Amino acid sequence: MSRKYIFPINRVEGDLEIQVELKDGIITEAWSAGTMYRGFENIMKGRSPMDGLVITPRVCGICSTAHLKAAAKALDMAYNIVIPDTAKMIRNITMGVEMLQNDVRQAVLLFMCDFANPYYKDFPLFKEAVSRYEPLKGSSALQTLVESAAIIEITAVIGGQWPHSSFMVPGGVVSSPSINDINQCTYLLNRYRKWYEKQILGCRLERWAEVKNNLDLDKWLEESHLHADSDLGFFIRFSKKAGLDKIGKGHGNFICFGSFDMPENTDIKSLNKGPKYLPAGFSQHTRIQALQEESIFEDSTCSWFKTDDRPLHPFEGLTIPYATGGEGKKYSWAKAPRYQGLPAETGPLAQMIIAENPLFTNLVSSKGPDVFSRELARIVRPAIIIPVLDKWIKEIARNMENFCRTYQEKESGKGFGLIEAPRGALGHWIHFKNEKIENYQIITPSAWNGSPRDLNGVRGPWEQALVGTSIQDTDNPVEAGHIIRSFDPCLVCTVHAI
Amino acid sequence: MKIICEKCGFTMNLDKSRIPEKGAKGKCPKCRHIFTIKNPGTGVSDNANKSQKTLYWLQGGGCGGDTWAFFNSEPPETSELINDLNIRLLWHPSISNHSIAAQNKLNNDLLSGKQALDILCIEGSIIRGPGGTGMFDTLLGKPKKDIAASLANKASYVLAVGTCASFGGIGADGEIEATGMQFQKWTPGGFMGENFKTKSGLPIINLPGCPCHGGVISGAIAALVSGIPLKLNQYNIPLEWYGTLVHQGCTRNEYHEYRVEEKKIGEKGCLFFYLGCHGPLVYGPCNKMLWNRRSSKTRVGVPCFGCTRPDFPQQYPFFKTRNIEGIPIELPDGVNRAHYLAYKGIAAAAAPERLKKRKTGI
Repeated sequence: MSRKYIFPINRVEGDLEIQVELKDGIITEAWSAGTMYRGFENIMKGRSPMDGLVITPRVCGICSTAHLKAAAKALDMAYNIVIPDTAKMIRNITMGVEMLQNDVRQAVLLFMCDFANPYYKDFPLFKEAVSRYEPLKGSSALQTLVESAAIIEITAVIGGQWPHSSFMVPGGVVSSPSINDINQCTYLLNRYRKWYEKQILGCRLERWAEVKNNLDLDKWLEESHLHADSDLGFFIRFSKKAGLDKIGKGHGNFICFGSFDMPENTDIKSLNKGPKYLPAGFSQHTRIQALQEESIFEDSTCSWFKTDDRPLHPFEGLTIPYATGGEGKKYSWAKAPRYQGLPAETGPLAQMIIAENPLFTNLVSSKGPDVFSRELARIVRPAIIIPVLDKWIKEIARNMENFCRTYQEKESGKGFGLIEAPRGALGHWIHFKNEKIENYQIITPSAWNGSPRDLNGVRGPWEQALVGTSIQDTDNPVEAGHIIRSFDPCLVCTVHAI
Repeated sequence: MKIICEKCGFTMNLDKSRIPEKGAKGKCPKCRHIFTIKNPGTGVSDNANKSQKTLYWLQGGGCGGDTWAFFNSEPPETSELINDLNIRLLWHPSISNHSIAAQNKLNNDLLSGKQALDILCIEGSIIRGPGGTGMFDTLLGKPKKDIAASLANKASYVLAVGTCASFGGIGADGEIEATGMQFQKWTPGGFMGENFKTKSGLPIINLPGCPCHGGVISGAIAALVSGIPLKLNQYNIPLEWYGTLVHQGCTRNEYHEYRVEEKKIGEKGCLFFYLGCHGPLVYGPCNKMLWNRRSSKTRVGVPCFGCTRPDFPQQYPFFKTRNIEGIPIELPDGVNRAHYLAYKGIAAAAAPERLKKRKTGI
């Protein structure tokens, strides 16, 4: 017989409840509900276009730089500005640093913390897990708190503070860092790199870059006790024993808006020779196609909003709360974003798939996405971006003059900013008239990942990933927690708001 | 009486009447060592002071930014604060790993009084919409606001962490009908009512800022745990951290003195006259404690948006100063308009070339 349960999920940003139907201990249906509405899109209406730079970072406490960047890029487009290389580098560095703090905080404090859950008390690795990940006490947890707070100092050096600064503006950035400021950023990044290599990876970035498939991964793990004893090594050992590579499959569709706009003069080469270091794209499993902004729509059939008879492109998007839910069909404050009508997952794994990273292409093409590959992509993402950020920090010193281009303000305009936040694809769409915002729409990464069903009844990615999972203890549904947290959910963003 | 730091030997004078009977924990202003100050009249043993305090962190209508600001604070870094001051963290939504069952039991024990609650931190606004129901923010189908009220009634101290929890913040003018715990913007009352007192007899202590500075959060928690009294202003904000204007300590102060202005973003200069900076208008520790131990918005050229003020976010455009003939409508607290006009006129005329030509380090 099937029975319904509601699981509130913490250690995600914000409020999330998962309703599941269980039959013989297996999830047969799942509904994901964002349980808070904050109405940002409506707060923006009637305000000055520049106000998005102040209001929208407040959508999210752990990815406020991402919202600032999307808001600034939307205005760059509306005012038709190409920003100088220095500003591109500053924006890339601060965006990258937000990922660096996020990835270790999420992996250690939010995700692996579950390895120390009493659910695993008879598991052979439990004692080690507790000594590493017990909240505020475990050895890795303590280090992560310190090092993640230290790396984000780079954003404070350049942008004044983190979270919630507004140092990116149309035309570039407000800051004019001194040579010493830039040097400080180098030292901070070096320090993080050394810690990350020693504690999280257990090897140099260069050694990790040689891991290109599943076999290499096994070889890497066995090669040295430093590898096996690192947090990454522990993650692999624990996950394989706990079967995390067998749960949380999902649809296998990926979306990435692309990250790090390439400066004109730089020694860095983007991964696909395109305009962004991490390329934009959409893929079904590993079949990749170029991204078209016109193919993004939001559906609110199952969301607590007034529903149009069709999904809407964000420029036409509506945010009118409609909380009656009388017909029982509506169940979340999140809308359902769709690409060419399809749900898609986003985040570090999607970035790796679209960038054709050999390891993750190999993992996903051999057995599809799962909790293991999704979380692995997040833990090792710093290894891919640290060298690029390091280079850009050094290249800024070549030209310290021009950080912001002047431009002609317009009374009316339209623009969008598509970027990669730490959790994946983030888009802001702005339309203003007579210097006042007519419509502002935001689609966050967790709106993609945690979307409710659409008008065709198709589940969102983590709803899909939950189906088929066995739950041992409904009072402590750790398996569901692993699946949801492997997406690094940020509900404060998703329900913004939205 | 004389207090001598047991670590560095620094001597300070303290009024005996400020030390509670049980003694108190104090921080040495020189070496920042935290140690027990005994009340000479009682000679209470150290053990009594070491009794564990409990802390519960509740998130309402917010973005989680105060949590991450808190986790960025040091010293003390979050785990030092919790572990060294012997605080038992009952629950924090971003780091606790209880099972659902354990969490339900904890909540029941708190509400029945079986589990004592010393400090309740509330982050995010109280969402009352739509139509006063609170259903825009729910937990297991029930409005979150009801949980906030029941816990506030049980706690010895309540800290409203951030501008949303203090005054309503984002959403205070919007459809979600957001309010602060005990203020709605400038007006006393808010969610719990003007006369509400926590078990300690204090009102809800407001720690505004969007987000609140991490050092303020850990400082306030440390003060409450150590029994150090916090002097509050009329908005129930501790003067310890909100007694100076954001302007104090801004490295652009010299530009302000001589009215050398930044008219367009990135020009360098004072941001007060054209770019909407609230530094000289608003109280906050941003340029005294600095952010992430490094800098502040105004130092790098981002205007202060007045995020500690009860009316944040303002209903007029950011990045623009509201002027009458080149003089801001809002002037620094307490200045006489005519005098200020005359003073700024003379100051601008006296501005040195090195400032006008931006030949300074800023």
